[in-house]
Amino acid sequence: MLFLARKNLFQEKTRLLISVGGVAFSVLLMILLQGLNVGFSNILGQYLESVPTDLWVASANTGNIMDPSFLPPTLGQRLKNIDGVASAQPFGMQNITTSVNGKDLAFYMIAYDPSTSVGKPPKVSEGSVAPGKDEIVIDRIVAKSNKIKIGELIPFADKKLKVVGLSEGTFILSTSFAFINKADASEIYTLPTTTNYWLVSVTPGTGVQKVQSRVNGQIPEVNAHTKDHFVQVNVDLVKSIVTPVFGALVVLGALIGLAVIGLTIFTSTIEKAKEYGVLKAIGLKNRQLYVIVIEQALIAATLGFIVGAAIAYALNPTIVSAVPQFVTQLRPFDIAWIFGVTILIAIISSYIPIRRLNKIDPAEVFKA
Amino acid sequence: MSVVEVKNLSKVYGSGHTSVKAVDNINLKIEAGDIVLIMGPSGSGKTTLISMIGTLLKPTSGQIIIDNEDTAVLSDTKMADLRLHKLGFMFQSFNLLSALTAEQNVVVPLIVAGVSKKQSIAKARKLLEQLHLEKRLNNLPKNLSGGEKQRVAVARALANEPKLILADEPTANLDTKTGLEVMQLLCNTACGENRAVIIVSHDQRLKSVAKRVITIEDGKLIREEKGNHNNNCSMNHGNIPR
Repeated sequence: MLFLARKNLFQEKTRLLISVGGVAFSVLLMILLQGLNVGFSNILGQYLESVPTDLWVASANTGNIMDPSFLPPTLGQRLKNIDGVASAQPFGMQNITTSVNGKDLAFYMIAYDPSTSVGKPPKVSEGSVAPGKDEIVIDRIVAKSNKIKIGELIPFADKKLKVVGLSEGTFILSTSFAFINKADASEIYTLPTTTNYWLVSVTPGTGVQKVQSRVNGQIPEVNAHTKDHFVQVNVDLVKSIVTPVFGALVVLGALIGLAVIGLTIFTSTIEKAKEYGVLKAIGLKNRQLYVIVIEQALIAATLGFIVGAAIAYALNPTIVSAVPQFVTQLRPFDIAWIFGVTILIAIISSYIPIRRLNKIDPAEVFKA
Repeated sequence: MSVVEVKNLSKVYGSGHTSVKAVDNINLKIEAGDIVLIMGPSGSGKTTLISMIGTLLKPTSGQIIIDNEDTAVLSDTKMADLRLHKLGFMFQSFNLLSALTAEQNVVVPLIVAGVSKKQSIAKARKLLEQLHLEKRLNNLPKNLSGGEKQRVAVARALANEPKLILADEPTANLDTKTGLEVMQLLCNTACGENRAVIIVSHDQRLKSVAKRVITIEDGKLIREEKGNHNNNCSMNHGNIPR
């Protein structure tokens, strides 16, 4: 009875437009909000993933990169003495706030070591990737939203650092990573004689977890994390902040879709109550009528999904450009489950119209 | 063999002091090829009777046997199957599906009955051609005249070759000439194919197409007389104006 569902749906063009438009809006919201959710959740993980190390060695109670971690510079030698450790490099990163153009900006300042390339920005969209003395690479989004240009000077403590590059994938919620030369870090950091993490590479052929156990066993004042674990912990940390917010908004988007499609199919069912009565009278079973209603909802939902997804893909670059803080990632996996949710919405939205169908008395068709 | 047998059929609406007996102990036997016109004043119980025979309304008491099946023991699903395969309906306000063309309206019961799409379309076209609607196949109901709509309804009622066609006030929304023409067309077709027809109407002129005329008053069958049908059940409808 697909043709009947289709004909019923397309007969009333305005209602179809409202239905498809409502679902499209709902899908657009869901896709963009989930894109933001994924974008914000993954960006820190992606940066940490780009850091070349097998183990992140932090202070004993440090679980993630937002926790304070301070380690002595002498720890490097102790780590190198452990069987299976190929190298141990210091990784400096401290949260420093400064004022730019009258506005306070917080940076996680990462110390770049030109001799080892540790602390190098993962990618730059403009300028230099390697900050020299008195230079800084800041995040592109921070630069754009605060109108900071390459060549500008940013004050830190008693120094002024010249912006020489704009990095990509280094904006995390309300803060960002910035990259300075190791020589400057010792002047700017609050505890210049300490380092924050040690990056340990294991010798080829040695199990990473085996070395992790040795480090944790032999140096009780540290907590060594495998790279995968450290990335996951940090991704989970950001997710725990952003997902409840975006998740609630995605649910709201789904509810909008549910309400719109439910109402339009319901009004259509009421308007066509007599015709459904005729169908009952001529021998259609209730379940065949349910199929007609569900098919109508599915067609409207699918059309709405196609329109909504197309608009989301078309609008995404514009939105990201207009609001640089929006970091979106539209993944095929998310598009697939949002389609699944849309189909589910269509089926759920058919429930009330179907209940209405049950109440239609076919004997009514004999009334003029 | 009777197509419909109605035994001691009654329908009471409401209960206690406010109860109304719409149909009161009616007995009726309708054979294949019968064309029965049920007449009576408004509120006499005609529509209630035809609704019960059409299995759309449950009787308070009594029995309806359609083609040897006691409808009282049938489930809703079996009842729907019975309506689909053995009954055809025509209504006062035509009740065509507004989103579908004339052809598609006739195709619906065929598709529901499991006939393939290709065969359904072929059969719908043939029926509509017999009813002189070959040029209106793709018209929506809103673009058809009253007579054309009722002819599409005739085709839809005949689509699954039912044993019994139930028509409730089929001429009420048609002008005199068109109403009679459509009913002649229905009755000649049904008679020619040995189908039974029950027509509920106030229209005295329909006596000319009926073989039996039954009068109901206050829910009771008070009279049965012969109709004026000429028993010439020709399938040739060439005399029906287009």
